[in-house]
Amino acid sequence: MESPEPRQAATDLRAAHDDRGLHALRRAAQGRPVVGYIGCDTPVELIAAAGALPVRLAGRAGRDTTLARTYLDGCVDPQAVNILAAILTPQEHDAVPDQTPAPDQTPAPDLIVITHDCDASLQLFYTLRELRRIGAQTFPPVHFVDLLYLPGEPTRRHNLGRIRRFADQLAAWRGRAIDAAELAEAVADHDAARAARTELRRRRRAGALSGSEALRWYAAGTAMPAREYADTLTAALAGDTARPAGRAVFVSGSSHDTADVYDALEGDGWLVVGEDHDWGDGGDQPPIGEPTLEALTDHYTRAVLPTVARPPHRMADAIRDAVGGSGAHYVLTYCRQYDDAHRWGYPAQAAAAGVPAALLRDQPYAGIDLPDLSSQLLSQEARMAR
Amino acid sequence: MSDRTLSRPRLGAAGDALRHQREWFATLRGQAAQGRPFALVNADVPQELLRAMDVPYVVNQWWSSIISAKRMSGRYLEALRERGLPDDVEQYSALPLAEALSPRGDDAPWGGLPLPSVVIADCSGDSLRRMFQLWESELGVAFLPLESAAAEIVPANWWELMRHDWETAIGSPRIDLLQLELQGLVPRLEQLTGARFSPERLARIMALSNEQAEWNRRTRDLLASAPRCPVPVNDVIPAVMIPQWHRGTPWATAAAESLYREVSSLVAEGRAVVPRERRRLMWIGRGLWFDMDFYRSFEQSHGAVFVWSMYLALAADAYARYGDDPLRALAARFCAFRDQMYTPPWSVEWYTKEARTHRVDGVVHLISPDSRASWFTTHALRKAGIPVLEIRADNADGRSLDPAALHDQVARWIESLPDHT
Ligand code: SF4
Ligand code: SF4
Repeated sequence: MESPEPRQAATDLRAAHDDRGLHALRRAAQGRPVVGYIGCDTPVELIAAAGALPVRLAGRAGRDTTLARTYLDGCVDPQAVNILAAILTPQEHDAVPDQTPAPDQTPAPDLIVITHDCDASLQLFYTLRELRRIGAQTFPPVHFVDLLYLPGEPTRRHNLGRIRRFADQLAAWRGRAIDAAELAEAVADHDAARAARTELRRRRRAGALSGSEALRWYAAGTAMPAREYADTLTAALAGDTARPAGRAVFVSGSSHDTADVYDALEGDGWLVVGEDHDWGDGGDQPPIGEPTLEALTDHYTRAVLPTVARPPHRMADAIRDAVGGSGAHYVLTYCRQYDDAHRWGYPAQAAAAGVPAALLRDQPYAGIDLPDLSSQLLSQEARMAR
Repeated sequence: MSDRTLSRPRLGAAGDALRHQREWFATLRGQAAQGRPFALVNADVPQELLRAMDVPYVVNQWWSSIISAKRMSGRYLEALRERGLPDDVEQYSALPLAEALSPRGDDAPWGGLPLPSVVIADCSGDSLRRMFQLWESELGVAFLPLESAAAEIVPANWWELMRHDWETAIGSPRIDLLQLELQGLVPRLEQLTGARFSPERLARIMALSNEQAEWNRRTRDLLASAPRCPVPVNDVIPAVMIPQWHRGTPWATAAAESLYREVSSLVAEGRAVVPRERRRLMWIGRGLWFDMDFYRSFEQSHGAVFVWSMYLALAADAYARYGDDPLRALAARFCAFRDQMYTPPWSVEWYTKEARTHRVDGVVHLISPDSRASWFTTHALRKAGIPVLEIRADNADGRSLDPAALHDQVARWIESLPDHT
């Protein structure tokens, strides 16, 4: 494919972010399947090797989640509830009345894949499994891939079994086994996308992008074919970008699958220079290299750790490095309502950060309490200056 | 309360169990003071492994219940708050940690929990692993984590399969994982405690604990089929739970047997909590620990008696695992433990089965914010023709529930149920 011109490439990335169904619809129009997945540790290479486009399912602010909340109640991250809403009523809820054509007309995927990256994903899977069993709702078939994260050999062996099974399930689903060439191509494409992402992170650290733009560019990669994404992102990064102004903050805690919170932060004079959640910098991965199920297993067991699976002391070290590397002057640990696990690591992180740190808890989906953030950080800064 | 006039002395088995528990804990404290290592473990951890190594252990949630009962939670949780740690996330698992981080006082429950030599927990949910890591980083106590795997497909009728055909009920991959982890745990524990693992002892422990589960099953079946409920559920709970913490000992098996014998003689005598039993009720959800009398307060006024407790029912259905390989059977006892009560389809089908076999006229379903799949539970019960009263409570510590209002609400609902007489 010919490399697009930088400005066009940036526009294409934004389009893929703003309408996550864009590439899925194109694929569907070619009669090719789309697989919706949840979890940063989904072995997307296997999905691509099976001839399908993997699209990571995301929430959307303003979606009506009443029905989803009925089934998935209790202390569950509203992000998972938002995704359930999209699965149960794929199009209807996504139409925003005052915008035509409605954005995010994501078609229902042909298959849904859920991993065990956090408790909310597991509960979402259980909810879908039970809804199907009692026949209360209809939706595409769902596979669950139980990948786990303790560093020991028992976990690696378990994960190898899960990945083999997932490959078999995909083969059965499309009616043909995944062959070596298909897997090699998929791994190479996704490794190219990983390399391009790493370059994005580098450019951002050099101060060339706003946080919300970087998040959009990252997110585009989870809704586009991997090779096309790698080329588009590389082309976009070849262009000039202006160094944005703002108080440099590093974001930790809950993941952000939309840019709403970043837009709010940057509209308020902050600049998000880095994050450790997996929709952003935290999704950085080394290449897989070898196109085998064993290599995939090693990768998804050791190199890709969902946030809640990262040991707190390692995260504290990582924060220290990230603050230094990104030039952040502040750290924000953002916890969405019911996504409280991050709070156990917060004191260690705040102590390691070396700059003013704030904890925002019980935040609504896609929302942030800006006055609370300012008062926490600016008062600490004043104290530290004294 | 007026129903006090109805109460008879506690079950002998309950009194014995409470006495035993105090003596056992005093012994453990004494030994710990002399430097004998002991473990603090979460309820879902295969405790039988420690018993087979002769390493004493305290169950985290049991100790939390003691802290709560002595009303020390608030003070201990303060220690978490002071460190910037959450005092409102999984408090029940966090209380022993909070105690260990608090200044030692003379008023500690039962003299206080000594500092354990090792803590073991599974990684279910997002918080447990991080919380338990603090034992290591803040207190220098070794933390050994276990995975918490999940299955994609399960057969619904687990209670029929679990005893012998657990391989089918759970699926081999989850059992493989925990079995491998337990094999790895043994040398780590040997190194940390100086104790030795004995496979023969584990085989005996599994046999004894299976026997204990059979006695609990007989007791549960008897309570389900007795014409009238012979004993209040809150008396059954300590009599069944305390021996559970001592699973695999001759004492615990004998205690489960004596509970069964005591209940059968009550049934044979024709004893009944309510002589004219008009409605049989079931409580699902977290217990109202702050108001145990609540359960008994509809006996005289409404002839209504709560006949089912999750503790006995789990002890009856959820523990027995037979098989030639004791370590694998032990892994199978715990690798899907929580699913039995929390994860559909297992939880909902099991509650429905228990409601039917106990011939209940209605279910009170307490839904707290950490309840799972509550819509499915209510839906399944109603579909089976069983009336359900849903109560939503922010927490079960009494702050969010007005006891008088709750009482009235339940009373009015009971009045709407069909009357047996
Ligand atoms: S009964 Fe359930 S909540 Fe209570 S200790 Fe056992 S596992 Fe934990
Ligand atoms: S009754 Fe059960 S839960 Fe309560 S303290 Fe005794 S053993 Fe623990």
